[in-house]
Amino acid sequence: MKPYFRRATIGIFAGALSSPALTYAIRNPVLALLCGIFLGALYAASLRSARSAYAENLMTGAALGIPLWGLISVVAIPVSAGQMPEWNAEGMRAHLPALVAWVLYGALFGLIYQAFNDLAAARWGAEAKASVPVPSPLTHVVILGGGFAGMKTAQCLEKEFQKNISVRITLVSETNALLFTPMLAEVAGSSLEPSHISTPLRSSLHRTEFVRGRVREIDLEKRCVLLEGMNSPDGTSEPRQISYDQVVLALGSVPNYLGMPNVERRAFNFKSLLDAIRIRNYVIEMFELADREPDASRRAPLLTFVIAGGGFAGVELAGALNDFAHGILADYPNLNRDEVRVVLVHAGDRILPELSESLGRYAQAKMEERGVQFRLNARVRDAHPGIVVLQDEEIRSETLVWTAGTTPSTVIKALNVEKDKRGAVKVDANLSVCGRPGLWALGDCAAITDAKSGRACPPTAQFALREAATLASNLAAHLAGQPSKEFHFDSMGALCVIGHQTACAELTVPFSRTRALRFSGLFAWLMWRGIYLSKLPGLERKIRVLFDWTVELFFPRDIVQTIDLK
Amino acid sequence: MHGSHDLPKSQPTSNPKTFPWIEPCVAVLVSGVCLMLGHTQLATTPADSFIFGALLGLIFWWGFGNRANSPGAGLIWGLGFAALVWLLIPAGLLPLVTGTQRSMSTLSGARSHFPELVAYLVLLGMPLGLTLGIFGGFRSSGVKRKFHWGRAIVVGGFAGTLSGLVFSRWMYEGEFYPLLAGLPQLNSRSEMVGFHFLVALLIGASFGLLFQTDVRGLGSSMGWGLGFSIFCWFFGPLTLFPLLSGVGVDWSADQGNALFGSLVGHIIYGLILGVIYAAIDRAWLKLFIQSDPLNREPEGPGVNVLRSLSWGALAGLAGGVAAGPVLLATGVLPKLAGFGNGFPGLKGFVIHLTVSALIGMMYGLLFRNEGSSLSVGVPWGCVFGLIWWYVGPMTLVPLLLTGVADWSANAASALLPSIIGHLLYGAATATVFLLLEHRYERWLLLDPRNSAREQRRMRPVGTPAPALWFFALAMGVLLPILLG
Repeated sequence: MKPYFRRATIGIFAGALSSPALTYAIRNPVLALLCGIFLGALYAASLRSARSAYAENLMTGAALGIPLWGLISVVAIPVSAGQMPEWNAEGMRAHLPALVAWVLYGALFGLIYQAFNDLAAARWGAEAKASVPVPSPLTHVVILGGGFAGMKTAQCLEKEFQKNISVRITLVSETNALLFTPMLAEVAGSSLEPSHISTPLRSSLHRTEFVRGRVREIDLEKRCVLLEGMNSPDGTSEPRQISYDQVVLALGSVPNYLGMPNVERRAFNFKSLLDAIRIRNYVIEMFELADREPDASRRAPLLTFVIAGGGFAGVELAGALNDFAHGILADYPNLNRDEVRVVLVHAGDRILPELSESLGRYAQAKMEERGVQFRLNARVRDAHPGIVVLQDEEIRSETLVWTAGTTPSTVIKALNVEKDKRGAVKVDANLSVCGRPGLWALGDCAAITDAKSGRACPPTAQFALREAATLASNLAAHLAGQPSKEFHFDSMGALCVIGHQTACAELTVPFSRTRALRFSGLFAWLMWRGIYLSKLPGLERKIRVLFDWTVELFFPRDIVQTIDLK
Repeated sequence: MHGSHDLPKSQPTSNPKTFPWIEPCVAVLVSGVCLMLGHTQLATTPADSFIFGALLGLIFWWGFGNRANSPGAGLIWGLGFAALVWLLIPAGLLPLVTGTQRSMSTLSGARSHFPELVAYLVLLGMPLGLTLGIFGGFRSSGVKRKFHWGRAIVVGGFAGTLSGLVFSRWMYEGEFYPLLAGLPQLNSRSEMVGFHFLVALLIGASFGLLFQTDVRGLGSSMGWGLGFSIFCWFFGPLTLFPLLSGVGVDWSADQGNALFGSLVGHIIYGLILGVIYAAIDRAWLKLFIQSDPLNREPEGPGVNVLRSLSWGALAGLAGGVAAGPVLLATGVLPKLAGFGNGFPGLKGFVIHLTVSALIGMMYGLLFRNEGSSLSVGVPWGCVFGLIWWYVGPMTLVPLLLTGVADWSANAASALLPSIIGHLLYGAATATVFLLLEHRYERWLLLDPRNSAREQRRMRPVGTPAPALWFFALAMGVLLPILLG
């Protein structure tokens, strides 16, 4: 017997038996009976049953009789009779006998309800627990990747399926936290504490099973995912296999070194939290080495930092490193300001191709004012110890950071599905992979075309979040046998910080695809901080970042080395 | 109130090494003797009073004895029982059934039962509850929260003394000492002030000693403060102080009417005492116990508080809409909006809804850890609504509008109808708050960390919250009706 039906039935009988007390308050016996039954069923249905709780039900029933007296005897009965309630003290005092009747009804009901409840428990056993037996078969949805796309997909699926435990959700990620990449440059520039821009996946997800691991292979025929073995304390390394019914590819991208092994070996990536921590520590290490180096010519490569790539990541990192490097000079009195060089190498004729030309030029001019050097229409060709080779120049530098290209992960490369020239998985308008039922893809590893505009969607977090919501909705619709919807999203614009309290912003005018509002300088910087702070997941993280930014206003940046680079 | 836990046994669980018949015998003896002492108030012979008291003592032991597992719990169950017995038997059932002249259908009839109410509370509920509670304290069964004597006395005494400061202005300007009503005037103001703070300290310390294990959050502590302060009014100004001053007790409704201002003073004092006590006690727990990572919840208090405030605001708006017509009809709403007795219009309704949302936020903040189901949340909501009747129209509104709070029985009588609106407001706010909370948590409960928290929030069977709801609501509503 279902708990609510059982409780309500008991409530109806208990309410009916207690209703004679109400005849003192409601003169019509039939009405009193109906009122007693209705209130009894309502009270009982809202109650968690417990054995032998006579005293509790007696008192609770009597207590609830008092507001019911006010609601029904003082207000509802006069109103239903077409009279105004007596809104004065004497009028209310006239209802005193009804108050006694309501308290008596409540107390009686509490006792009778409990007695019936105990009888029912003795006859039919205890009330069934709320937990529903696990239906079989389960649908297992596996999400591969814990970035913006994967995390948001898991959150949306949790909302789609809520308490529907016939669907099991698993998220596999190499790291156990979601990295908020827009603020990664500030970690490299020592403005923010590394963990403050990462949100633990386990805390953020409530019913999704989280598995930390690197995907080795996806077997589309057997419908299973093979994870690389994790080194356990006893030295064994067993790979783990996860079967799925639906799999979502959200594996993101990895750096693309364009076939230059020396660059791959010598350059820093700028994709993960560890990359940012390593860059920051390496910069400090270079300053320490330069500080004890008396030869100026040998100091030059130590204090020259080359960043390859003039997109958002490269420009923001160049701005942050420039601020950081100049800011910590005060702690190194042996070093000269002019010796510190931050060089940005970009293959195009202007930086920030994602923004309009005017903003790109503004960013370049502003950064040059602040000491950043640019090599435009140039490409990194090779890298040797202390030297970064461009096509027509060699830059003496011990530090090279690569942000000049990305490609989908090797797992995607090995997957036997249709891909675009970048190597990303081609998906149809509802984000499922063509000809592969149960396979979905989104984010940087997917080639997505906007259903309305027909344009390719850029691999940005802004799009990944919207793709995730659409994908989760389509996946739920697919399981329910309902029609899916096509993906469409108009970009809201882009923001980029180019250095101390300066940024560029280009915001799309709502309902207009071609017009955009452009901002630059301090106002754009405030917009950047406000918008990205609001987007940072978790109140706690927001407070921590806000605190870091406040501290940064009053105190110099920290030069403590936190990892051993040897 | 009702968790999924079952009470181990329905009968009192005495330590098998002691004598199981001691508790019922003591209950019979205490209630019999105490009621016999008040036989004049009950208008019966001493023998009849003894027999009646003994019978009630036996019923209390049988029905509530195993709930009285501490003196504080025993006191609250005892007061609830005594109030129920008074309302149902001498004041309710007997006149209704027999049709005697002393029915509750007229004000004079109802007021004539007032001495019996005081007698039941002071001579039956209190001694019986406390005695069985003391026995219950020694009982070995059940899981009990650890009691800290020092913390109870220090926190309670400090909170009591601090709460006593609320009357400072009135004490100095108007010689008004609500906690000392019933006492003759002492020689000097400094003596009166000293005695006022001594009483405040004693009430606070007893609050800590009695209710440390029952009080959980700020909201329930306010509820306990409300109930305890009403009892203190019956025990102090109506009983003990006249006895101490040698004038003899006067439990008539007229005396109650004369001391009505002191009752409101006690209630305001009790609410502040409850909040301060819980705040200090919770701060102690937060700083030294719950800050321990072993006891932390998955979501920090900051997130929980913000969420409770937003839900509380929405629930308060719903409560404001539900109670609006009643408050409009009773004239409270126009007064609030500064429109005298006229129709307040849109401006008044907006002010009303704003105030409702703010009070709802307070409900969210104070009661977010109390209600886990409708059967628990709605009574707490009604208690909250009642509290706001005493705090709002009785105290704050006149203070803000005229600078003077009128706590007389006549003022309470004039505001009496709006009490219905406040009860409706509380019930609606609690219901909507609970629905919002359940909507958020219904699928989060699949997370074992959240379901563990939900389990901790449920008050197990046996805690005295239901008796407190009944006592506070019955007395809070009935006293203005009877004494006004």
